[in-house]
Amino acid sequence: MNARENGSRNLFVILHLAGQKFALAASLVAELAPPVRLHSFPHTSPLLSGVIVRRGRILPVYDAVRALSGKSSSAHRFYLVARRRFGDTSEMSAIPVDGECELVNSKMSQPADNAVAYICGEIVTGNETVGVLDLEALVRCHSESTVLASEARL
Amino acid sequence: MRIAAQDSPRPRKVHPAEAAIIFLVSRRFFAIAADAVQEIRSTDSIAGAASEFESADVPKVRHTIERAHRQYYVVNGCVHFALPIVRPTLVLILRQLRVAVLVDRIERMTELPSVYDLPLAFSGEERRWYRGLAQLDDHVIPVVDPRGFLTAEEFRRLESVPSAAVPLQELEGAASK
Repeated sequence: MNARENGSRNLFVILHLAGQKFALAASLVAELAPPVRLHSFPHTSPLLSGVIVRRGRILPVYDAVRALSGKSSSAHRFYLVARRRFGDTSEMSAIPVDGECELVNSKMSQPADNAVAYICGEIVTGNETVGVLDLEALVRCHSESTVLASEARL
Repeated sequence: MRIAAQDSPRPRKVHPAEAAIIFLVSRRFFAIAADAVQEIRSTDSIAGAASEFESADVPKVRHTIERAHRQYYVVNGCVHFALPIVRPTLVLILRQLRVAVLVDRIERMTELPSVYDLPLAFSGEERRWYRGLAQLDDHVIPVVDPRGFLTAEEFRRLESVPSAAVPLQELEGAASK
């Protein structure tokens, strides 16, 4: 591994979701986009609040705040556009974030033993330890909890 | 990563332009290819040709209508898309499928410049409901797949249920039941 690859592996974007700080691998992040109109339509996929149009593409919007706090994100300042993998392919997705994001260089360590399933590691920035978000796991956890909740209602 | 400014969209054409009917169900916009629709009628005008239908397995169908010696299953659009019930005023009678759809109203006919594939993130029933998404003016609206209104299994269940004639008011009020 050369120095450049090693450097990019250690780059993370710090984002603010539901009043907490999380980190996302910078290699997954395309851009921080300004707030644009959210278009919603009927669907049954958990965690998705609709789509936005960005650079001529229609991007699904993940309401990560709802998954983390149980409340829908009411006010957000930007959309973080990140890549999500689907088998052999991938797709750009948008996550509403309620604060400015920052890029940090830090080495990721293993998550704490009691970390939730969607935290895949930890980084230290300044005096803080920030959990590294696994978007796939977050969607999976939320989908499973949605299914369990709907089964409990039946 | 970069912080980007507002930009104007550069639509990627996924499918060629096509004529479409923009309609509303429960005050939500949808599009359907114009050539997928054989006829648009008011609920008043077809009530005489409607028969009541009881199928607990497929609650979105409560009536059939007969057109050109063919029986069409009338799908309530609000129930199909799990939207709040709104009294329908029009019926879209589909071409090549024995399906008619109750809708609020037609907004207009237009040409869709492009239809985008539904993002992979959408993994639920909407993958059957929609062919894709279209950008029209400042809106993104789903383009319905006519085959998505009733599955083969739903057709099979419906075919086994007998029907009986009903008066006008019951077809109009079907959505509110």
